[in-house]
Amino acid sequence: MVLLRGSGEHAGETYDDTFAIDSTAESGVADADVLLAFAESAVLDADDLTTRREAVRERMGDAAMVDAAGVIAIFQAVVKIADATGAPLEDAKAEVSAGFRAELGLDEFKAG
Amino acid sequence: MSEIEIRDDLVQAHARAWARLAEPGVWLTAAEKVWTAEEVRNARACPACAARKAALSPEAPIPAHVSTTDLPEARVDVIHRIVTDADRLTRSWFDRIVSEVFTVEEYIETVGVIAEATAVDRFDAALGRPLRPLPAPIAGAPSRLAMPAAKDEGFWAPTVAREDIQPSDREAAQAMYLNRGAVNIHRALSLVPESVVGFFDLDDAMYLPDALLRDFAQEPRAVTHAQIELLAARVSALNRCLY
Repeated sequence: MVLLRGSGEHAGETYDDTFAIDSTAESGVADADVLLAFAESAVLDADDLTTRREAVRERMGDAAMVDAAGVIAIFQAVVKIADATGAPLEDAKAEVSAGFRAELGLDEFKAG
Repeated sequence: MSEIEIRDDLVQAHARAWARLAEPGVWLTAAEKVWTAEEVRNARACPACAARKAALSPEAPIPAHVSTTDLPEARVDVIHRIVTDADRLTRSWFDRIVSEVFTVEEYIETVGVIAEATAVDRFDAALGRPLRPLPAPIAGAPSRLAMPAAKDEGFWAPTVAREDIQPSDREAAQAMYLNRGAVNIHRALSLVPESVVGFFDLDDAMYLPDALLRDFAQEPRAVTHAQIELLAARVSALNRCLY
Protein backbone atom coordinates (compact mmCIF):
# COMPACT_ATOMS: atom_id res chain seq x y z
CA MET A 1 0.00 0.00 0.00
CA VAL A 2 2.85 2.39 0.85
CA LEU A 3 4.51 1.66 -2.49
CA LEU A 4 1.22 1.87 -4.37
CA ARG A 5 0.73 5.32 -2.89
CA GLY A 6 4.30 6.26 -3.88
CA SER A 7 3.76 4.96 -7.37
CA GLY A 8 0.59 7.00 -7.66
CA GLU A 9 2.31 10.15 -6.46
CA HIS A 10 5.03 9.65 -9.08
CA ALA A 11 2.45 9.17 -11.82
CA GLY A 12 0.26 12.03 -10.60
CA GLU A 13 -2.55 9.57 -9.89
CA THR A 14 -4.54 8.79 -6.78
CA TYR A 15 -5.26 5.12 -6.45
CA ASP A 16 -8.19 3.91 -4.38
CA ASP A 17 -7.08 1.00 -2.17
CA THR A 18 -10.59 -0.33 -1.60
CA PHE A 19 -9.68 -3.02 -4.15
CA ALA A 20 -7.71 -4.83 -1.43
CA ILE A 21 -10.94 -5.94 0.21
CA ASP A 22 -13.26 -5.65 -2.81
CA SER A 23 -11.66 -6.69 -6.07
CA THR A 24 -14.53 -5.19 -8.06
CA ALA A 25 -13.85 -1.69 -6.69
CA GLU A 26 -12.38 0.83 -9.11
CA SER A 27 -8.71 1.37 -8.19
CA GLY A 28 -7.50 3.60 -10.99
CA VAL A 29 -4.66 1.16 -11.78
CA ALA A 30 -4.54 0.09 -15.43
CA ASP A 31 -5.84 -3.41 -16.13
CA ALA A 32 -6.71 -3.91 -12.48
CA ASP A 33 -9.85 -5.82 -13.39
CA VAL A 34 -8.06 -8.71 -15.09
CA LEU A 35 -5.10 -8.67 -12.69
CA LEU A 36 -7.23 -8.82 -9.55
CA ALA A 37 -9.40 -11.56 -11.02
CA PHE A 38 -6.26 -13.57 -11.85
CA ALA A 39 -4.86 -13.05 -8.34
CA GLU A 40 -8.08 -14.11 -6.67
CA SER A 41 -8.42 -17.31 -8.69
CA ALA A 42 -4.75 -18.18 -8.29
CA VAL A 43 -4.81 -17.75 -4.51
CA LEU A 44 -8.07 -19.66 -4.12
CA ASP A 45 -7.28 -22.38 -6.71
CA ALA A 46 -10.57 -21.50 -8.35
CA ASP A 47 -12.03 -23.40 -11.28
CA ASP A 48 -11.91 -20.30 -13.45
CA LEU A 49 -8.15 -19.80 -13.04
CA THR A 50 -7.41 -20.72 -16.66
CA THR A 51 -10.01 -18.29 -17.99
CA ARG A 52 -8.80 -15.47 -15.79
CA ARG A 53 -5.13 -16.12 -16.58
CA GLU A 54 -5.90 -16.11 -20.29
CA ALA A 55 -7.72 -12.80 -19.86
CA VAL A 56 -4.48 -11.28 -18.55
CA ARG A 57 -2.56 -12.85 -21.40
CA GLU A 58 -4.94 -11.53 -24.07
CA ARG A 59 -5.07 -8.02 -22.61
CA MET A 60 -1.47 -7.59 -21.47
CA GLY A 61 0.66 -10.28 -23.15
CA ASP A 62 2.72 -13.27 -22.06
CA ALA A 63 5.41 -11.38 -20.19
CA ALA A 64 2.88 -9.51 -18.05
CA MET A 65 1.05 -12.74 -17.29
CA VAL A 66 4.31 -14.33 -16.13
CA ASP A 67 5.31 -11.31 -14.05
CA ALA A 68 1.85 -11.15 -12.48
CA ALA A 69 2.07 -14.86 -11.62
CA GLY A 70 5.44 -14.19 -10.00
CA VAL A 71 4.08 -11.43 -7.77
CA ILE A 72 0.99 -13.46 -6.86
CA ALA A 73 3.15 -16.44 -5.95
CA ILE A 74 5.85 -14.66 -3.97
CA PHE A 75 3.29 -12.80 -1.87
CA GLN A 76 1.61 -16.05 -0.92
CA ALA A 77 5.01 -16.89 0.57
CA VAL A 78 5.66 -13.46 2.09
CA VAL A 79 2.41 -13.62 4.07
CA LYS A 80 3.41 -17.00 5.50
CA ILE A 81 6.74 -15.61 6.71
CA ALA A 82 5.01 -12.61 8.25
CA ASP A 83 2.26 -14.64 9.92
CA ALA A 84 4.52 -17.47 11.11
CA THR A 85 7.12 -15.19 12.67
CA GLY A 86 4.86 -12.55 14.19
CA ALA A 87 6.61 -9.91 12.09
CA PRO A 88 5.54 -6.52 13.44
CA LEU A 89 4.12 -4.03 10.98
CA GLU A 90 6.27 -0.94 10.44
CA ASP A 91 4.60 2.33 11.46
CA ALA A 92 4.35 3.68 7.90
CA LYS A 93 2.71 0.49 6.66
CA ALA A 94 0.39 0.37 9.66
CA GLU A 95 -0.86 3.87 8.95
CA VAL A 96 -1.57 3.21 5.29
CA SER A 97 -3.27 -0.15 5.84
CA ALA A 98 -5.32 0.85 8.89
CA GLY A 99 -8.53 1.00 6.88
CA PHE A 100 -8.48 -2.43 5.42
CA ARG A 101 -7.11 -4.01 8.60
CA ALA A 102 -10.13 -2.66 10.43
CA GLU A 103 -12.47 -3.81 7.64
CA LEU A 104 -11.10 -7.35 7.83
CA GLY A 105 -10.92 -7.40 11.64
CA LEU A 106 -7.26 -8.37 11.52
CA ASP A 107 -6.08 -6.24 14.43
CA GLU A 108 -8.63 -7.77 16.78
CA PHE A 109 -7.55 -11.33 16.01
CA LYS A 110 -3.84 -10.72 16.22
CA ALA A 111 -4.23 -8.94 19.52
CA GLY A 112 -5.72 -12.12 21.01
CA MET B 1 -2.40 -23.09 -23.08
CA SER B 2 0.44 -22.73 -25.57
CA GLU B 3 4.00 -22.73 -24.25
CA ILE B 4 4.95 -19.48 -22.58
CA GLU B 5 8.35 -17.91 -22.34
CA ILE B 6 9.60 -17.20 -18.85
CA ARG B 7 12.36 -14.67 -18.42
CA ASP B 8 15.71 -16.27 -17.79
CA ASP B 9 16.46 -14.64 -14.44
CA LEU B 10 13.22 -16.08 -13.09
CA VAL B 11 14.02 -19.55 -14.43
CA GLN B 12 17.45 -19.36 -12.84
CA ALA B 13 16.08 -18.12 -9.49
CA HIS B 14 13.68 -21.05 -9.34
CA ALA B 15 16.48 -23.47 -10.23
CA ARG B 16 18.63 -22.04 -7.43
CA ALA B 17 15.74 -22.44 -4.99
CA TRP B 18 15.41 -26.12 -5.87
CA ALA B 19 19.19 -26.59 -5.60
CA ARG B 20 19.08 -25.01 -2.12
CA LEU B 21 16.19 -27.25 -1.15
CA ALA B 22 18.26 -30.35 -1.95
CA GLU B 23 21.17 -29.31 0.28
CA PRO B 24 21.60 -29.94 4.00
CA GLY B 25 20.51 -26.86 5.90
CA VAL B 26 21.75 -25.07 8.97
CA TRP B 27 19.48 -26.90 11.41
CA LEU B 28 17.54 -29.30 9.14
CA THR B 29 18.83 -32.19 7.09
CA ALA B 30 18.26 -32.13 3.34
CA ALA B 31 15.69 -34.89 3.73
CA GLU B 32 13.77 -32.84 6.32
CA LYS B 33 13.80 -29.86 3.95
CA VAL B 34 12.53 -31.86 0.97
CA TRP B 35 9.90 -33.56 3.15
CA THR B 36 8.81 -30.12 4.33
CA ALA B 37 8.31 -29.06 0.71
CA GLU B 38 6.37 -32.28 0.09
CA GLU B 39 4.12 -31.53 3.07
CA VAL B 40 3.53 -28.03 1.71
CA ARG B 41 1.96 -29.77 -1.29
CA ASN B 42 0.06 -32.28 0.83
CA ALA B 43 -1.44 -29.53 2.97
CA ARG B 44 -3.33 -27.94 0.10
CA ALA B 45 -5.39 -31.09 -0.42
CA CYS B 46 -5.54 -32.23 3.21
CA PRO B 47 -9.10 -32.78 4.55
CA ALA B 48 -7.87 -32.26 8.12
CA CYS B 49 -6.53 -28.83 7.15
CA ALA B 50 -9.84 -27.98 5.46
CA ALA B 51 -11.65 -29.01 8.64
CA ARG B 52 -9.40 -26.82 10.77
CA LYS B 53 -9.77 -23.88 8.42
CA ALA B 54 -13.55 -24.21 8.69
CA ALA B 55 -13.54 -24.55 12.48
CA LEU B 56 -14.22 -21.54 14.67
CA SER B 57 -11.06 -22.27 16.62
CA PRO B 58 -7.81 -23.50 15.06
CA GLU B 59 -7.32 -25.53 18.25
CA ALA B 60 -10.44 -27.63 17.63
CA PRO B 61 -9.71 -31.38 17.23
CA ILE B 62 -9.15 -32.49 13.63
CA PRO B 63 -8.56 -35.87 11.95
CA ALA B 64 -5.07 -37.03 11.02
CA HIS B 65 -3.35 -35.05 8.27
CA VAL B 66 -2.66 -36.46 4.83
CA SER B 67 1.09 -37.04 4.99
CA THR B 68 3.50 -38.86 2.70
CA THR B 69 6.77 -38.22 4.51
CA ASP B 70 8.69 -39.54 7.50
CA LEU B 71 8.38 -36.27 9.40
CA PRO B 72 6.90 -36.62 12.90
CA GLU B 73 3.17 -35.96 13.07
CA ALA B 74 3.66 -32.86 15.20
CA ARG B 75 5.94 -31.31 12.59
CA VAL B 76 3.52 -32.19 9.82
CA ASP B 77 0.81 -30.40 11.78
CA VAL B 78 2.94 -27.26 12.07
CA ILE B 79 3.80 -27.24 8.36
CA HIS B 80 0.20 -27.84 7.28
CA ARG B 81 -1.05 -25.15 9.63
CA ILE B 82 1.40 -22.55 8.32
CA VAL B 83 0.41 -23.42 4.75
CA THR B 84 -3.36 -23.42 5.22
CA ASP B 85 -4.20 -21.37 8.32
CA ALA B 86 -1.32 -18.97 8.88
CA ASP B 87 -3.49 -15.95 9.64
CA ARG B 88 -4.68 -17.60 12.85
CA LEU B 89 -1.22 -18.36 14.24
CA THR B 90 -0.54 -16.72 17.59
CA ARG B 91 2.36 -16.03 19.89
CA SER B 92 1.10 -18.60 22.39
CA TRP B 93 0.97 -21.24 19.63
CA PHE B 94 4.54 -20.39 18.63
CA ASP B 95 5.75 -20.61 22.23
CA ARG B 96 4.25 -24.07 22.54
CA ILE B 97 5.69 -25.26 19.23
CA VAL B 98 9.25 -24.19 20.03
CA SER B 99 9.10 -25.92 23.38
CA GLU B 100 7.46 -29.17 22.20
CA VAL B 101 8.12 -29.68 18.46
CA PHE B 102 11.09 -27.72 17.14
CA THR B 103 13.99 -25.71 18.43
CA VAL B 104 13.42 -22.08 17.51
CA GLU B 105 16.16 -22.32 14.88
CA GLU B 106 14.60 -25.42 13.32
CA TYR B 107 11.25 -23.65 13.27
CA ILE B 108 12.64 -20.57 11.50
CA GLU B 109 14.44 -22.68 8.92
CA THR B 110 11.23 -24.66 8.36
CA VAL B 111 9.33 -21.42 7.74
CA GLY B 112 11.97 -20.46 5.19
CA VAL B 113 11.61 -23.78 3.37
CA ILE B 114 7.82 -23.46 3.39
CA ALA B 115 8.12 -19.97 1.95
CA GLU B 116 10.45 -20.95 -0.89
CA ALA B 117 8.46 -24.06 -1.78
CA THR B 118 5.25 -22.02 -1.69
CA ALA B 119 6.67 -19.35 -3.99
CA VAL B 120 7.86 -21.82 -6.62
CA ASP B 121 4.80 -24.09 -6.48
CA ARG B 122 2.29 -21.25 -6.53
CA PHE B 123 4.04 -19.75 -9.54
CA ASP B 124 3.72 -23.01 -11.44
CA ALA B 125 0.12 -23.41 -10.31
CA ALA B 126 -0.80 -19.86 -11.31
CA LEU B 127 0.51 -20.51 -14.81
CA GLY B 128 -1.23 -23.89 -15.07
CA ARG B 129 2.07 -25.75 -15.21
CA PRO B 130 2.62 -29.09 -13.48
CA LEU B 131 4.47 -28.79 -10.18
CA ARG B 132 8.14 -29.53 -10.72
CA PRO B 133 9.52 -32.74 -9.19
CA LEU B 134 11.04 -32.27 -5.76
CA PRO B 135 14.81 -32.72 -5.73
CA ALA B 136 16.60 -35.70 -4.22
CA PRO B 137 18.10 -34.72 -0.85
CA ILE B 138 21.88 -34.55 -0.68
CA ALA B 139 23.51 -36.44 2.17
CA GLY B 140 25.26 -34.48 4.86
CA ALA B 141 24.79 -33.00 8.29
CA PRO B 142 23.30 -29.58 9.03
CA SER B 143 25.96 -26.97 9.72
CA ARG B 144 24.35 -25.99 13.05
CA LEU B 145 25.81 -22.48 13.00
CA ALA B 146 24.09 -20.26 15.53
CA MET B 147 23.64 -16.49 15.47
CA PRO B 148 24.60 -15.43 19.01
CA ALA B 149 23.80 -11.77 18.27
CA ALA B 150 20.11 -12.53 17.76
CA LYS B 151 17.89 -10.68 20.21
CA ASP B 152 14.26 -9.83 20.91
CA GLU B 153 13.14 -7.16 18.44
CA GLY B 154 9.42 -7.73 18.80
CA PHE B 155 9.13 -10.80 16.59
CA TRP B 156 8.18 -14.17 18.07
CA ALA B 157 11.71 -15.53 17.53
CA PRO B 158 14.98 -13.67 18.14
CA THR B 159 16.21 -11.70 15.14
CA VAL B 160 19.48 -10.10 14.08
CA ALA B 161 19.71 -6.35 13.57
CA ARG B 162 21.92 -5.03 10.80
CA GLU B 163 24.18 -3.28 13.31
CA ASP B 164 24.74 -6.51 15.25
CA ILE B 165 26.32 -8.38 12.34
CA GLN B 166 30.03 -8.80 13.03
CA PRO B 167 32.89 -9.07 10.51
CA SER B 168 33.56 -12.52 11.95
CA ASP B 169 30.02 -13.73 11.17
CA ARG B 170 29.63 -16.20 8.33
CA GLU B 171 29.10 -15.24 4.69
CA ALA B 172 25.31 -15.64 4.76
CA ALA B 173 25.05 -13.28 7.73
CA GLN B 174 27.17 -10.69 5.91
CA ALA B 175 25.02 -11.08 2.80
CA MET B 176 21.50 -11.18 4.22
CA TYR B 177 20.90 -7.42 4.31
CA LEU B 178 23.21 -6.50 1.44
CA ASN B 179 21.35 -4.01 -0.79
CA ARG B 180 18.25 -4.44 1.39
CA GLY B 181 16.49 -2.16 3.82
CA ALA B 182 16.60 -4.71 6.67
CA VAL B 183 12.90 -4.01 7.16
CA ASN B 184 10.88 -6.39 9.28
CA ILE B 185 10.14 -8.93 6.56
CA HIS B 186 13.88 -9.19 5.89
CA ARG B 187 14.63 -9.65 9.59
CA ALA B 188 11.89 -12.21 10.23
CA LEU B 189 14.07 -15.21 9.32
CA SER B 190 17.42 -13.70 10.34
CA LEU B 191 18.05 -16.26 13.06
CA VAL B 192 18.99 -18.42 10.04
CA PRO B 193 20.72 -16.00 7.64
CA GLU B 194 20.81 -18.62 4.88
CA SER B 195 16.99 -18.58 4.87
CA VAL B 196 16.97 -14.81 4.39
CA VAL B 197 19.48 -14.99 1.55
CA GLY B 198 17.59 -17.81 -0.14
CA PHE B 199 14.11 -16.37 0.10
CA PHE B 200 15.07 -12.91 -1.04
CA ASP B 201 17.01 -14.31 -3.96
CA LEU B 202 13.61 -15.56 -5.11
CA ASP B 203 11.87 -12.37 -4.08
CA ASP B 204 14.22 -10.23 -6.17
CA ALA B 205 13.25 -12.19 -9.30
CA MET B 206 9.54 -12.65 -8.60
CA TYR B 207 8.79 -9.23 -7.08
CA LEU B 208 11.46 -6.54 -7.33
CA PRO B 209 14.97 -6.00 -5.97
CA ASP B 210 14.94 -3.50 -3.08
CA ALA B 211 16.83 -0.90 -5.11
CA LEU B 212 13.98 -0.74 -7.63
CA LEU B 213 11.06 -0.75 -5.18
CA ARG B 214 10.85 3.02 -4.97
CA ASP B 215 12.43 3.81 -8.32
CA PHE B 216 9.14 4.64 -9.96
CA ALA B 217 10.88 6.12 -12.99
CA GLN B 218 11.99 2.64 -14.03
CA GLU B 219 9.57 -0.14 -14.91
CA PRO B 220 11.76 -3.24 -15.15
CA ARG B 221 8.86 -5.68 -15.41
CA ALA B 222 6.04 -6.18 -17.89
CA VAL B 223 3.70 -5.07 -15.12
CA THR B 224 4.10 -1.60 -13.60
CA HIS B 225 4.96 -0.71 -10.00
CA ALA B 226 1.32 0.15 -9.46
CA GLN B 227 0.14 -3.15 -10.89
CA ILE B 228 2.70 -5.06 -8.80
CA GLU B 229 1.56 -3.34 -5.61
CA LEU B 230 -2.08 -3.86 -6.51
CA LEU B 231 -1.44 -7.60 -6.81
CA ALA B 232 0.63 -7.71 -3.62
CA ALA B 233 -2.01 -5.90 -1.60
CA ARG B 234 -4.83 -8.09 -2.88
CA VAL B 235 -2.91 -11.32 -2.20
CA SER B 236 -2.13 -10.13 1.33
CA ALA B 237 -5.77 -9.27 1.92
CA LEU B 238 -6.98 -12.62 0.55
CA ASN B 239 -4.63 -14.26 3.02
CA ARG B 240 -5.89 -11.98 5.81
CA CYS B 241 -2.31 -10.93 6.46
CA LEU B 242 -1.48 -7.78 8.40
CA TYR B 243 1.84 -7.30 6.70
